[in-house]
Order: sequence, then structure tokens, then C-alpha cells
Amino acid sequence: MASQGRRGVSDRRNPKNEGILSRVSNSISQSPILFQGRQAASDAAVVAKKLFKSTGKAAWIAGTTFLILVVPLIIEMDREQQMNELEMQQASLLGTPAQK
Amino acid sequence: MAGFVPPPPPPAPPAPPKPDEKVDYFDLPCPIPYEEIHREALMSLKPELFEGMRFDFTKGLNQKFSLSHSVFMGPTEIPSQSSETIKIPTAHYEFGANFIDPKLMLFGRILTDGRLNARVKCDLTENLTLKANAQLTSEPHMSHGMVNFDYKGGDYRTQLQLGNGALFGASYIQSVTPYLSLGGEVFWAGQHRKSGIGYAARYNTDKMVATGQVASTGMVALSYVQKVSEKVSLASDFMYNYMSRDVTASFGYDYILRQCRLRGKIDSNGCTAAFLEERLNMGLNFILSAEIDHRKKDYKFGFGLTVGE
Repeated sequence: MASQGRRGVSDRRNPKNEGILSRVSNSISQSPILFQGRQAASDAAVVAKKLFKSTGKAAWIAGTTFLILVVPLIIEMDREQQMNELEMQQASLLGTPAQK
Repeated sequence: MAGFVPPPPPPAPPAPPKPDEKVDYFDLPCPIPYEEIHREALMSLKPELFEGMRFDFTKGLNQKFSLSHSVFMGPTEIPSQSSETIKIPTAHYEFGANFIDPKLMLFGRILTDGRLNARVKCDLTENLTLKANAQLTSEPHMSHGMVNFDYKGGDYRTQLQLGNGALFGASYIQSVTPYLSLGGEVFWAGQHRKSGIGYAARYNTDKMVATGQVASTGMVALSYVQKVSEKVSLASDFMYNYMSRDVTASFGYDYILRQCRLRGKIDSNGCTAAFLEERLNMGLNFILSAEIDHRKKDYKFGFGLTVGE
């Protein structure tokens, strides 16, 4: 408090804007709120980077597992269905009972 | 223990009794052999995955006799101490001969790296069966052989096993109700001075099979297979080793369609695998195998062709 007062007295010799400007900008750049804000921003950047990487890893694992387990199944079931349709068509066309 | 799979036993007698009918405890079906107690789960969850190219050709010379030629080219894994997997490309050709008769079956296989496999299955009488298998290698002390005597009773089976290196084993399994069978086994390995005892139970209906097995070597294995429809069955398996605190659970499916058979499984060790056998033509099968291990980052893919009945 006392130091602030002394600063104010010495600055009165300088133009008033400079004194007030430097005081205000100092108080802004050294305020505890801004310091916490910067810390939070860097933490958020670290977390976002980790999240991005782990989402990428999870997407890779899910994608390759889906490719190995599900895609052949879909292909085969589709072929089976096509063959069934073909057989039903042939059966209805030729009048033969549907074969197993 | 016995790696030999005999042809499936004749189908079990009559359908299970209706609820109001009294169970005849003197007329129970014959149980599954002890070593095949996990058969359905193993068929769905442990297909023969391989890496590389495989070609099998089987030619029947006679109704009973057939020859087989098989070529394999691909990397083989070597067990290593470090966590890295070491693979060495290998290639071999295997020549085999089979003789199949209702009472006697003989299989022989020889590989270009000097290994010989031989199996014999002989029905000495209607209830007593002799099985033997031997594996000879050119490396010293790596050859072994085993002989099994199986006796099949009305509703029980017993087996006596003798192997080289002073290996003795015996097992017994009994049908307790038309659906449930219980069994036990003991073994003694002279070379390693180890002995063990194990118990197993199997509950079997038309739609599902549940098995459990405990052994004094520390292994607990439970499995459950549900036949969802004629073409689809789902299987799950849980293995726990209480000595080494190892746990593995796996789930799999088995689709048997007209032209193909597709098996897929996923594991708690981060391993997924799929195995497809597709029938391109009469006697011509195309095989695809894939296995991904996410933890060790090990990827294995294989394809092959099987010609012959």
C-alpha cells in the first residue's frame, strides 16, 4: 500500500497517462486471475492432445476389430441371401420344390 | 493331453424324456470322452489359425486308403524371452498317408524338416479301443509317444494313458442324468516328478453346452456354448490359473452357412481372430485366417487352399 502511494507521488512528475497506463498494465499482466487462466489453458491443451491421441488409438482398435470380425460376416450373409433369392426365383419359375 | 480326435461317437440314444416322464437312471446315454469335454467350445473358439500360405491336397487311391500332400510357406514364431516376437520364415512339405477302416485307422505324416507323426486307432473289441500316437524328431530328447486304452461302458467311459518319460494318466467320466455328466482324472509325470488330479462336469442339452473343469495344476476352465439357430452358435470361455493368477476370457461366434464356415473370436488379452473356410467348388476349399493382437501389435494373416474330399 505504502509503495503504491510512493509510486503514485513520483509519477505525478511524469505525464499522468504513462503512470496510470503502466500501473494498469502491470496490474493486468501480473494479476493472479490471468496467471491462473494461463495455467488452465496449458492444462487444457495437454488434456486435449491426450484425448485426441487416445481417441485416435481407440478408433484404430475399433476399426480394425470391426474389419476382422464383422465385415466377412456381412459379406457372407449377403451372399447367402442372394443365393436364397436366386433359388426361390428358380423354384417359382420352374415349379420345383425349393431345395435345401 | 491327447491331441488325437477320434471320429464322433455314434449319436446318443433317444431324445430327452418329457417332463412328466420319469427318468430311467439305468438307461442313460454314453457320455463324451473326457478329453473332448470342451469340444464345442474349442471348435468355435480355437480354429487352426496360421500365418502364411498353406496348400493341402488329398487324393484317395481306394475307399480306405488316401495320400496327402501339403505345402506351407510362412513365418513361424519362435518363443523368446523378451516381449518381442521373433518370426523366422520357414517352408516345408508334408507327405501323409491315411488308412481308414471301421475298426482300424492309421495316419502317418512326415515333414521335410525331419519330423514324423504317426497315429493309430484300433477297436480291439466292441467296447475297448486302443489309441497310440508318436512324434519323432531328429533333435535328441524331443521325441515322444503315448498309448491310450479306452473302455466304453453303458453310461460311463474310462481311459488309461501311458506315455514315454514315465507318464501315466487315468480318467473316468459318468453320465449322472440324461443331461449332466461328471468325470475326474489323475496323472503322474515321472520325468518332471509332477502329479495332478482334476475334475470336470458337463451339462448338455440340445441348445446349449456348459462345461467346467478344475485341475490341481491350477487351471480352472469354464465354457458355455449356445446354439442360437441351426446355422449360428455363440461360445464363451473363461480360463483362470490360480497359481499364476492368469485370467483369460473370450467370446466367439460360429456361422455355418451352406457355402462357408466363419468363426470369429475376441479375447480379453486384446486379441481378435477370424477364420473363414469357403467352398469354391466341389472338393475345393479356400481358407482365410486373420489374427490381430492389439497389445503386442502382432498381425498375422494367412490364406490357403484345400483340395480333395
